[in-house]
Amino acid sequence: MIDKTIDRSLRWLDDRLGIAKGGRTFLDKIFPDHWSFMLGEIALYSFVVLLATGVFVSLYYIPSAHEIVYHGSYIPLRGQRVSEAYASSVGLSFDVKSGLLMRQAHHWAANIFLGSIAVHMARVFFTGAFRKPREFNWIVGVSMLILGIVNGFLGYSLPDDLVSGTGIRIAYSIIESIPLVGSYLGTFLFGGNYPGNGIIIPRFYILHVLIVPLLIIGLLAAHLGLLVKQKHTQFGGKGKTEHNVVGTPMFPTFIAKTTGFLFMTTAVLFLLGGLAQINPIWQFGQYQPYQISYAVQPDWYMGWLDGALRIMPSWEWVGWGHTIALEVFLPAVIFPGLIFNIFIVWPFIESRHTKDLAYHNLLDRPRDRPLRTAVGVAMLTLLFMVFFASSDDVLANFFQVPLVAVLWFFRIAVVIAPVIAAVVAYKICNEMRAAEGVGKRKRPQIVTRSSTGEYSTTDAEPRPGDGVEELDAIPVPTYIDLVPPELATGVGVRRVMR
Amino acid sequence: MSDDAPRLEGPLPPAALDDPHLQPYAKHPERAQAVAAVAMVVGFLGFIGFGVAYWVGDSAQWEAVTLGGGLLALGFGVTAWGKYLMPQGPFEEERHEFHSTEAEREAMTAAVTERGGMVLRRRKLLGGLFALGSTAMGIVLLFPLLRSLGPKPGNTLFETNWTKNSQLVTVDGRPIHVDDLAVGGVLTVFPRGYTGSSQDQVILIRLAQLGPLDPPLVINPPGRTDWGVQGYVAYSKMCTHLGCPVGLYQEQTQQLVCPCHQSIFNVLSGAIPEFGPAPRPLPQLPLTADSAGNLRSQSGFNQAVGPGFWERP
Amino acid sequence: MRRLFRARYAAPAALVGCVAIVGLIAFSPSATLADAAPTTTLPVLTTTATTTTPIAQPTQSVSGALNYAAPSNQTGLFYAQLPQAFIAPGEALFAANCASCHGPAALGTGRAPNLQGLGAGTVDFWVSTGRMPLANSSVQATRKPPRFNRLQTLEIAAWVQSLTPGQGTQVPIVNTNNADLEAGNALFTLNCAACHTITGAGDALPGGAYAPSLHLATPVQAVEAIRSGPGNMPHFSVGNITNTEARDIAAYVDGVIQHQDNRGGFGLGGIGPVGEGFVALLIGVGALMLVCFWIGDRT
Repeated sequence: MIDKTIDRSLRWLDDRLGIAKGGRTFLDKIFPDHWSFMLGEIALYSFVVLLATGVFVSLYYIPSAHEIVYHGSYIPLRGQRVSEAYASSVGLSFDVKSGLLMRQAHHWAANIFLGSIAVHMARVFFTGAFRKPREFNWIVGVSMLILGIVNGFLGYSLPDDLVSGTGIRIAYSIIESIPLVGSYLGTFLFGGNYPGNGIIIPRFYILHVLIVPLLIIGLLAAHLGLLVKQKHTQFGGKGKTEHNVVGTPMFPTFIAKTTGFLFMTTAVLFLLGGLAQINPIWQFGQYQPYQISYAVQPDWYMGWLDGALRIMPSWEWVGWGHTIALEVFLPAVIFPGLIFNIFIVWPFIESRHTKDLAYHNLLDRPRDRPLRTAVGVAMLTLLFMVFFASSDDVLANFFQVPLVAVLWFFRIAVVIAPVIAAVVAYKICNEMRAAEGVGKRKRPQIVTRSSTGEYSTTDAEPRPGDGVEELDAIPVPTYIDLVPPELATGVGVRRVMR
Repeated sequence: MSDDAPRLEGPLPPAALDDPHLQPYAKHPERAQAVAAVAMVVGFLGFIGFGVAYWVGDSAQWEAVTLGGGLLALGFGVTAWGKYLMPQGPFEEERHEFHSTEAEREAMTAAVTERGGMVLRRRKLLGGLFALGSTAMGIVLLFPLLRSLGPKPGNTLFETNWTKNSQLVTVDGRPIHVDDLAVGGVLTVFPRGYTGSSQDQVILIRLAQLGPLDPPLVINPPGRTDWGVQGYVAYSKMCTHLGCPVGLYQEQTQQLVCPCHQSIFNVLSGAIPEFGPAPRPLPQLPLTADSAGNLRSQSGFNQAVGPGFWERP
Repeated sequence: MRRLFRARYAAPAALVGCVAIVGLIAFSPSATLADAAPTTTLPVLTTTATTTTPIAQPTQSVSGALNYAAPSNQTGLFYAQLPQAFIAPGEALFAANCASCHGPAALGTGRAPNLQGLGAGTVDFWVSTGRMPLANSSVQATRKPPRFNRLQTLEIAAWVQSLTPGQGTQVPIVNTNNADLEAGNALFTLNCAACHTITGAGDALPGGAYAPSLHLATPVQAVEAIRSGPGNMPHFSVGNITNTEARDIAAYVDGVIQHQDNRGGFGLGGIGPVGEGFVALLIGVGALMLVCFWIGDRT
């Protein structure tokens, strides 16, 4: 009965859209099962949660620097003159049911969105998944990372609280540091010298809720479209070649697992959203340009830029009647520009270096490409060092060491640690390659003692991945005979799996 | 292809139901089903719980536990269903090289070069004029896109509202008498009429009881010996690094510290930076006291306050 | 039973564990550091004070902090004249515990500073926060459980004050009942947050010093610190922060900073994005990676 209905509906659709062939191919599409291929899904589903919770909070947030008197339910603020943006953000937290949960889940989702992008990107890098033909998708991914960081900063700035306001002040000064045009860009963007004429909050708002998300959505569609068209990479192994994909089909297995994962990602974000407090703006108070709190850091994904600013020596260039604030321009503009450009051109640098122009659908084990692994480890170490440098004051307080010593440690470590890490990574790769079976799962053995006291060992029951008694991959049992027409004796429908 | 292909009488023979590829991953499917079912029931109860938590009270914790727990349990159930009870294969799919045939590629190139060349080579003038026109359009569109955003900086980066004889007031607009601060005291001040202004914020510190400035205590930069009064000194509160308010005063070491990036300024010698990324001393405001004993500025700042920018000499 | 511990269940079990731990922390009654604060010995002072001086009737405020009912005093803050009877026992306590470093007349030695003229409030701050007597010669004295009870502390303070009558910081009596929390909030943000952080958590300063956490400070200690500027802290005189304003700040520290409205969940130490980043990356991304590890193929 239900089958009849489905059949009728699909025919109705196919008459108009011609979806039968493409749709069926899509349902049969094979996805490799390796756990590390799901890291990007964390980012995808965090983005879904970002959109959903973002719609919720945008219904209550007022993007206005207009000053009003706070009359909400948080007593220590009552009577204070605050901006509408700040008042509405506190109101969203305290005076809208479920508002605090949604706002915090939104913020956690942003942190985890970018965190999972970083982890996903590291996986793609170390396994060489960016190689031909996937260079475009790598660039699309890096672009989304940049836009994600930008949008995270914009969103973080919207509540107009003391901590985020300090961030906007720093952003203004960074813009100001650009030679020739910096002061102009700053006053254009802010509607005057800092703090401007109040236009910056509405501008950040429209960028945050419309323009940047639209760009991300477009790139995301391209990212997934290219993934479908180019098919996912896979690790080598039994029956896996450059010319096939081995895994489970889109429908039903992959759909079920990925839907479950969507729910579980959402679950983690909402659990954090209500159990772990994030950005308690009511404690910070309204931003005023003459007020400041110690221990102010940006959100973690901006931390590496803040850290670079902290450890930079005071190299200002003055001459011919002009000033270049190199102590700002180098770490805050040139440094991230350089890093992102290295990311973008890396696939081309590598293929030029290896002179490898072939298609690659099988992934590398990181140890098999020691040079690339060493470069990646060095980059990660560099970024981690500047990242940790941004919490120098908190680290100094926590470990009770002098603040200046911590800064000097990072100034030196930023140069030396990546080199050491690269050398160590290179050596470890070579060691691992030299020793056969390193990192492979050992098959357990069962030791039995016989009645006569003799010991004997037998292999334990094989588990998936042990490489024994594994099935050969077969094509998904399709419902259509795909023998080429000239060889076909006929076409029919095959029925299985009820 | 199906329309032209000869049809076979009747359906194809079914794939074997006992094919190992079509078996669930779980050794005991009933047990896996039970686990998934329990999880889904827990999920259902979690969502009901969220409804109750929403209705009853205003606790983000209960909302998170019920909603998050429900999502977690339901997601676990669905995933377990997919992982343990659905066919695991392995299945394979062929990859097709997605580049086109050589003939197609050549035809594409030819379409561009031949047809395009035909047009462009014969009408170079038109092509050039079109390029010129679109470039001009791109450039002039930058004006509304960029120039309309805000005013030019003009002199605003150089100017503050401190002038000769500005009265120092607190953020509440209260004037400051020379007796108001104790030695080691610190206060954020503004010129009268401009309280709260970012560009005008000044940090006032009392270093000594008498003055202009206690000579053994303070190493005055040349020309600034009379810039303090009654042991008071005043510096711009905007950090010369990134403009954060330099609000952290360490009284014993007589240092001002920027809480943002830990630049350290020596208050005793014209706020020169001792450590950290700040490149320049905090500009100093020359002080005086009027006949009523209230603090005033001798003049404005002698340089631009705040971080560096291109036009700064 | 052994099946439960098989690898395939490890990841989800670990996830549930993580969530359970976070949940437990979030739901536990707010166990702030304040619970560990040493209780002041109220009864001793009550009996002594009421028999010898006309000033204050000690009362218990809701938060359990030491407060006095201030007589006909609208600002909620005034300074106590310590009883004459405190001076003699104070001298004995000073001679036994402090004189070895500060000298018998509190004039200071090569090891410790002159205390004359600092006033009873300064002495009360250093002794009641346990910073004096000094435990070791670190850059900065650290807060620890006080050596002396409330009465003994005030006796020492009274003796030091008696050396230079009227000079220095007095011991305040703080009534926070009618304090203006909004004013306290604004004043705290402008004057205190730059060092102690906006949540009062404290942070490291250059030179090996640090701005201490305010989570244990009593209103009396807060006002004493504002007035006397211990260590690297600036001195805030009455012309800078009025008595009413100091009372409001003390009330904000006592009422809001020490009882933060953490209705968003576990406060993560009140150190802002550093703590949040660690939670996002280690617990958030970490837990989700465990889930991936469970769902996906691990060969």
